[in-house]
Amino acid sequence: MNSPFALVIEDDPDLSDIFSEALEAAGFEVEVIRDGQVALQRLPSLDAVVIVLDIHLPNVSGDTILEHIQADERFANTRVIVTTADTVTAEMLRDKADIVLIKPISFNQLRDLASRLRPAE
Amino acid sequence: MKAFLNRFQVLPSPDPDDNRRRSLLNILLVGLMTIAVLLVVLIVFSLGLEGVSADELFLLLAGSVVFVLLALGIAALNHYRPGTLAAWFFLLVLLVAISFSDAPKEMVDGRSIYLFTLPILIASFVLFPLSSFVFAALSSLVVVFLTYYGELGLVNFFGMVGFFAIAFVAWLASRNMENALRDVRNLNRELDRRVEERTRELAEALAREVVETGKSQAILEGIADGVIVFDASQTMIVANPSVCRLLEAGRADLLGKNIGEFSESQALSKEDSQKLQYWLAKPNETLLSGRLLWGQKTLSVTTAAVTTPVGLPIGTVAVFRDFTKEAEVEQMKNTFVAIVSHELRTPLNAILAYSEMLQGEVYGPVNPKQANAATRIYSNAQRLLGMVSDLLDQARLEAGKLKINIEEFPVAELADAVHGVMDKPARDKGLDLKISVEPGAPVTVWGDPHRSQQILINLVNNAVKFTEKGEVVVRIRKAGDTHWAIHVSDTGLGIPEKALPYIFETFRQADGVTTRQHGGVGLGLSIVKRLVELMGGTVTVSSQVKQGTTFVVTLPVKPSSTHKEEMES
Repeated sequence: MNSPFALVIEDDPDLSDIFSEALEAAGFEVEVIRDGQVALQRLPSLDAVVIVLDIHLPNVSGDTILEHIQADERFANTRVIVTTADTVTAEMLRDKADIVLIKPISFNQLRDLASRLRPAE
Repeated sequence: MKAFLNRFQVLPSPDPDDNRRRSLLNILLVGLMTIAVLLVVLIVFSLGLEGVSADELFLLLAGSVVFVLLALGIAALNHYRPGTLAAWFFLLVLLVAISFSDAPKEMVDGRSIYLFTLPILIASFVLFPLSSFVFAALSSLVVVFLTYYGELGLVNFFGMVGFFAIAFVAWLASRNMENALRDVRNLNRELDRRVEERTRELAEALAREVVETGKSQAILEGIADGVIVFDASQTMIVANPSVCRLLEAGRADLLGKNIGEFSESQALSKEDSQKLQYWLAKPNETLLSGRLLWGQKTLSVTTAAVTTPVGLPIGTVAVFRDFTKEAEVEQMKNTFVAIVSHELRTPLNAILAYSEMLQGEVYGPVNPKQANAATRIYSNAQRLLGMVSDLLDQARLEAGKLKINIEEFPVAELADAVHGVMDKPARDKGLDLKISVEPGAPVTVWGDPHRSQQILINLVNNAVKFTEKGEVVVRIRKAGDTHWAIHVSDTGLGIPEKALPYIFETFRQADGVTTRQHGGVGLGLSIVKRLVELMGGTVTVSSQVKQGTTFVVTLPVKPSSTHKEEMES
């Protein structure tokens, strides 16, 4: 059976690398998108179990992408982990997103969290 | 008629007594002349001229004419010459006239003796009081002379005693009158002097007032701060040029406006308008101040009650200052700190996570030395992150943008969280970290769980940082019915007493040396204090050098609604 699929939408190359390593360590197959516009274009053709979404993105903001994900029936069972460095933004997003993580995000923390979100095989 | 009477007025002399006596003499002269004329007319018409010889008639008429002429002469003398000369002359003439007015017998011891009292009485009033005795003596001489001249026998001794008795009474009366007059005059003089003094004082005060007002006015006109003053009926009575410039309004448009009209300016938002109205309408002894956005400008406003020296409120004064530049700079500083802090977190996140991955051997096995290096990278990055977080919090606190989210949370959770974060750093230093929730402490409290953790972690972190050996003890307990308290005690080096008042200030540690020794930017305690205050609590410190330090944070179990509103605003 194929590994569950996870999507990382994060513009910082190092962080996206770390996030994908953590998700892979948790047993996911990972794709990284670094641009908001690209993410919006790619979303309809993807079927992710977990999406790690940064709020500060080039071109299209994470807020907008989050709205698209939540509006799409296909993502009804997808868990979205929103990441931000801003505690105020985090507070505002807590009602909208499933999980909000405030940067800095620890490798171990994300790996353990993602493991728990993996569908039972 | 008045002009006629004025003719009898004497030419004034500086001595008021002299004026009075001479006026009196004038009245006497007029009176006597009138009596003389009336007497002649009476004699001529009532008795008729029968049986009166031509000689006698001539004598009568000649006597009368001489008397009137003499009287006129004396009146003229009296009119032009100050002093008693005219009076002496008059009295002597009067005495002589009286001496020959009747038969010597009648004069000395008969019906006409009373005539001598006239010069005696008059003398005491028109000369000087004692002169009555002079004329008593002269009258007595005349009586003696007439007695011998007319061979009338014994001198009328009793009559002469009577003259002196009358002189004595006249002297007393006249003297009393003069004394009374002198008193009145002195009184008047004193009164005049006082009036003059008061007038001068008033004039001086007025002059001073004018100078002071001028000065105040000049200062008011000259200062860069905008000043407006409302009187007790809330009407604007002062608006200096600076305020007109700041508010971009004409003075004539401002003056006369009441507080309501002034506050409802188009340049203000509704919220600021209400604020300003409140500040202006309810000033008290303590200064009220704040900032307003007036059109494009940021203005700082300070209002105060204007009171009389006895404390009666008579109006309000408001001082406006252009704060636009400062507000911009402050905004820029806060934005800068926020951006920098935010941008620093991303690379820090990468450093932390990569060192974590190395430690966790994600990229394959590492030897103990490499693992140690990764650990050091990790802990240093954590320290750096702590400082960045502090800077960000400080900037938010200063900008009033730090939000407190009040919710109910279990106290035990707080204790666990702090233990989880701080146990390792404490053990690494060989310190014993003891956290206990005492019996009786509330199970759950209302507050911001995240900020409560931050407060406690900051204090424990501080305690660990400044303690070389021993323990760090955290006790959570009940404090009265409405509050709970957190005690954080250490066995560290303590804080010198003179430094205690400053340790909650921004960028302070007990001294400059320790700053370098112990790291950190000195924001921790200032943030703790501000956060505790935001949650409606207090923080105190007690310390003994080389014995240790205890911080006590006291927080309400449930913040009051008013406090909540403040926190939300």
